[in-house]
Amino acid sequence: MTDNQSPHKAIEVGDGAAIPHKSDSGLFTAWRIAFFGAIALCLFLAFGRSDQYMAIFKFVPDGILVTFKVTLGSILLAIVVGLIAGLGRISTNRFINGLASLYVEVIRGIPLLVQLFYIYYALGRFVKIPDMVSAIIAMAVCYGAYMGEIFRAGIQSIPKGQMEAALSLGMSRGQAMRQVILPQAFKVVLPPIGNEFIALLKDSSLVSILAVSDLLRRGREYASETFSYFETYTVIALIYLVMTLFFSKLIGIMEERLNDGR
Amino acid sequence: MTADNRPMIEVSGVCKYFGSFQALDDISFSVRDGEKVVIIGPSGSGKSTILRSINRLETIDRGKIIVDGMDVSNPKVDICKVREEVGMVFQSFNLFPHKTVLENLTLAQIVVRKRDRQEAEKIAMELLHKVGIAEKAAAYPAKLSGGQQQRVAIARSLAMNPKAILFDEPTSALDPEMIGEVLDVMKTLAREGMTMVVVTHEMGFAREVADRVIFMDHGRIVEEGTPEHFFTNPTHERAKLFLSQIL
Repeated sequence: MTDNQSPHKAIEVGDGAAIPHKSDSGLFTAWRIAFFGAIALCLFLAFGRSDQYMAIFKFVPDGILVTFKVTLGSILLAIVVGLIAGLGRISTNRFINGLASLYVEVIRGIPLLVQLFYIYYALGRFVKIPDMVSAIIAMAVCYGAYMGEIFRAGIQSIPKGQMEAALSLGMSRGQAMRQVILPQAFKVVLPPIGNEFIALLKDSSLVSILAVSDLLRRGREYASETFSYFETYTVIALIYLVMTLFFSKLIGIMEERLNDGR
Repeated sequence: MTADNRPMIEVSGVCKYFGSFQALDDISFSVRDGEKVVIIGPSGSGKSTILRSINRLETIDRGKIIVDGMDVSNPKVDICKVREEVGMVFQSFNLFPHKTVLENLTLAQIVVRKRDRQEAEKIAMELLHKVGIAEKAAAYPAKLSGGQQQRVAIARSLAMNPKAILFDEPTSALDPEMIGEVLDVMKTLAREGMTMVVVTHEMGFAREVADRVIFMDHGRIVEEGTPEHFFTNPTHERAKLFLSQIL
């Protein structure tokens, strides 16, 4: 009856990957046409007249695995970085707050591709770590800034009375944050984090310029050997499309479950 | 003042500004151990602000507030210690929606009072019986009516064994038919000798339970006295006008 009992305030952050809405039901939704169309096209190409496509499909799966590793590693690290940045942004300590705000502003003002190059080569100057690890760190540093804004918005969407109630029971700010605010905020930030995951999955193709053999790079390798650029990139695009659509559906379902839960 | 009669809460010369607006103007009063003080007044008179200053949910700009011997107005004093001893009940209940009723009562007992889970749950169940909603222990707050939620909030506050409880318009967000059940719980507490400071618009409650009524207007205490005095023969015009409007 009071608004503090409805914790599902939608917050709109991120670049809005197409997570299907519940109202998008029916046999011929855009999602279904795209997803099953892409799969049908893949099958048609793979088992069609020419062996050329089959060869491409056989060549790229290593890359899919790398793309997953980079995406998963980056999102997990970005969540940690984002949580710290988000807490920093709402900190009453001026220094911490300033530092977190500076991080967010700087990162958001530099193109992702430039940052990837920069962090990759900057890291390479000081430490010797595998290419994939530094690619993941670079992705996480950039996405951490966006994630930080999601956490900040999520924490601030929890009614003020929750913090007051926790404090008035004698909890410290840290205890109140851990026990009362963050568990509620996590529910609010899950959908936008899902969005970020999809965006990151797509942006992970940028690491192909950093000597990481992800899906796109495997495609490039194949194409430069065989000169069949059109065929290769058709396959690569289809695989990205299937992955993105698959995960956006999955996240959509998770979100629905979450809302039905209670 | 004798030891038995020491003030539990002592407010002296408190001023507070929101920007250039003066919310509190030289507020002084004290609440003895076991006393029930009801603060009334029109909205915007500063009554919630002074209540929230007692456990430093609002900071004050001038004056002094001493609670159970601890100086709340001194920023160096560990406010958590004060808040452990002074419970608060809010207009909007502020139950934790991600926790069950039982967990709402045990959380602070465990993390603040360091009780073990079993002991905390035992205390919680006793209190839920007391406020008459033991059967809802496993439910989430969203499944409860407003009156039930507020009774849980009172029980949550009691679970910390506070020396005093502050009530900030505890019935103002309730549907009329639920006000009675919450007031009944509060009356029970009053009979048991709990020290209470209550901001409310429930004049019947004030009349029945209060040892003292404080009437505020424009950030000042305009009138202070026993309920008989206040409700039958107030001295100030502003208080007379207020009573004529709401009674």
